[in-house]
Amino acid sequence: MLTSHLKRGVKAGVVAGLAFGLLLALVANPLVAFADELGHEGGDIDGGIAESGTGEHHETDGGHHHGADGGHHGGAGDGPHESVVSSTVTNGVSVLSGVLWGILLGGVVFGFAFYLLEPAIPGTEGTKSYLLAAAGFVTVSGAPWLVLPPRPPGVSQSLPTETRTLLYGGMMAVGALACLLSGYAYQRLRERRGRGAAVLAAALPFGLLAVPTAFAPANSVESALPPDLATGLVGMTVFGQALLWVLLAGAHARLSHHSVEDRPSDVASDRSDVSVTAD
Amino acid sequence: MPATTDTVHGRIEGARIELTPTQAAVGFALVAALGFALLFVQEPMLHDSMHNFRHAAGITCH
Repeated sequence: MLTSHLKRGVKAGVVAGLAFGLLLALVANPLVAFADELGHEGGDIDGGIAESGTGEHHETDGGHHHGADGGHHGGAGDGPHESVVSSTVTNGVSVLSGVLWGILLGGVVFGFAFYLLEPAIPGTEGTKSYLLAAAGFVTVSGAPWLVLPPRPPGVSQSLPTETRTLLYGGMMAVGALACLLSGYAYQRLRERRGRGAAVLAAALPFGLLAVPTAFAPANSVESALPPDLATGLVGMTVFGQALLWVLLAGAHARLSHHSVEDRPSDVASDRSDVSVTAD
Repeated sequence: MPATTDTVHGRIEGARIELTPTQAAVGFALVAALGFALLFVQEPMLHDSMHNFRHAAGITCH
């Protein structure tokens, strides 16, 4: 039972991961590289080292500082810097990471978490997948983004990297807690008070997210990018993650339909469902 | 079968029966390692290789 759930989750993850990898290869790779370059030039001009237009940088400041530091650029955030690997490697590994990201989320959220939580998630088969996707999005991206919104490349952030890593991880935990509480509140109230009250109660735990958001240290940012491009990059990030979760849920729901269709007990289980709701 | 796995508690019990502690530990370690590598590792070579992915995924921890 667990194995079949894991398989289905990982399959959904492969579908969504491949699509996300394609988005990375076709959109994110060229766009981020372009923005990096633009941010780099902007940074140089800001620092008063405007190059004369040959495009050849003399490794005076940014590049060497980065190399000598062993690549540690925590203090100044991820400001403009020379990459220690070629753009081919960055593009390839990024696409691969995107595919792995989908598989990881598929396996963990739609494999293991769905196996454990399936009885507690409200709704029918397909709805459950989409609800879990919404919860996954809030946990993995939505909640952390309240404190650390996605940033375009070449942006200097005031908080050191370690602090941001802790904040990001902490907000993931708070997001997961809010989602679990929400599901718990809905299931507890649905039987006693009806659906309306249950939905209202399910919305309340998300107020929890406001508490750490209000108390998180401010992370001021500086960007040399044109605001339109910066907005577009952030939009791509949000769209990409939303798409990933929708695809995960869609693939997961479809796969479950398939496995149900294969089984002859389909009709029987449907009937028992109906009788339960009639009671 | 459905009656015994109708609750989250039942599912946890089911996972305990189906997985040996070693399998569970190995699985958890693999997932944790992959998740940590994708999201948080700052080692310059890894970080720069996954640069575009992290921006596309909205992880600004770098």
